[in-house]
Amino acid sequence: MQNDAKPAATSDAASTGGAPVGTGATDFKPVTAGAPELQSGEKLLVEAYAVIWVIAFVFLLMTWRRQRALDRRVQELEAVLARAAAGAPAGKAGR
Amino acid sequence: MAQTTLDGKTATATRESAGAPTARGRGADLAFLALVIAAALSVVATLHVVAYRVPVESTMGVVQKIFYFHVPAAYAMYLGAVVCFFGSAGFLLRGTAPWDAAAKGGAEVAVACGAMVLTSGPLWAAKAWGVYWTWDPRLTTSMLTVLIYVAYVVLRTFAGNGEAERKFAAALGILGAAMLPIIHYSVRKWGGTHPQVISGKGGGLQHPDMKLALTLGFVSFTLLGIALVVSRARLALAAARVEEVEQEAIDQGLIDD
Repeated sequence: MQNDAKPAATSDAASTGGAPVGTGATDFKPVTAGAPELQSGEKLLVEAYAVIWVIAFVFLLMTWRRQRALDRRVQELEAVLARAAAGAPAGKAGR
Repeated sequence: MAQTTLDGKTATATRESAGAPTARGRGADLAFLALVIAAALSVVATLHVVAYRVPVESTMGVVQKIFYFHVPAAYAMYLGAVVCFFGSAGFLLRGTAPWDAAAKGGAEVAVACGAMVLTSGPLWAAKAWGVYWTWDPRLTTSMLTVLIYVAYVVLRTFAGNGEAERKFAAALGILGAAMLPIIHYSVRKWGGTHPQVISGKGGGLQHPDMKLALTLGFVSFTLLGIALVVSRARLALAAARVEEVEQEAIDQGLIDD
C-alpha cells in the first residue's frame, strides 16, 4: 500500500513545482533559478500611468467645478445689482 | 456714491472672473488656450514616443518607462513650489491678491504633481527594489516636502481667507521651497538607493530615443505645470475679487451674509 501512495505524492509535487500536496509543509525554500516574476512590469507601468492621468483629470475637474460655482455666484450678484440699479428694492440673496 | 463704487467694482470683478471680452482679457484667454493646446499636444507626443519608440531597458524591463513621466512630474512639482515661493514672498512684501493667488496656484500644483511622483515612484520601486517604499533620503525628503504643500492647501481651504491665515500660509510656502535643495542634494549627502541617472556620473540614458522621451516629458510637464498654475491662480484671483465685492454688498445691505 505504501508503494501505491508514494508515486501519487511525487506526481502532485511535480505538477505544483515541487511542493507536496496534502502533507504538512516542514520548510519553505526560496526560488533561485528561473524565478517567475513576482510583480508584472506591464501591470505596474499601466498602474503608474493611470494614476498620473487620474490625478491630472481630477485636478482639472476640481478647477472646472470651482469655476462653475464662481460663475453662479457672479450671476447672482449681477442680478442683485441690476435690480438695485433699476431702483427696485434689492432682493436679498444669501451667500 | 457708495452704490456707484459697488457697481464699478462688481462690474470689473464679474468681467474678469467670467472672462468677458475686454481686449486685454481676450489676449490673455487666447494665450492661455494656446498654452493648453501646446501642453495637450506635447503630452500626446510624449506618450507616443514612450509607447512606440523608446526601447525596453535591459535590466528593469518595461517598468523603466515610468521614469519618463515620474521625473518630469517631480520637476513640475518643483515648478509649482518655486511659483509658490515667489508668490508667498511677494505677498509678504506687497500684500496684494495677485501674489497670493500665484502662491496658492503654485502650492496646489505642487501637491498634484507631488502625488503623481509619490505614487508612480513606489510602483517602479516595487519592481526594481522589491518593495514599494523605503526610507531612502530622497524619498523621505520628497514626502515631507509634499506634506508641507498639503498643509498649505488644507490651511487655505479650511482656515478662511483672513490676513493672518494668508501670512501664515505664505510662511509655509517659503518653508516648502527651502526643502527643494535638500531633496536635490540628499542623495549626494546621505547616499541611499534612489537612482541618479540624470545628475549622477554614470552612463545616463544610453539610447537617443530615451533622451528624446525624457526631453519631451520635461517639455510637456513644463507646459502642463504652467497651464495648471495659471488656471488655478486665475481662479483664486477671481474668487478673491468676488468675495471682496460680496462683502461690500453685505455691508450695504444688498445681500444677506
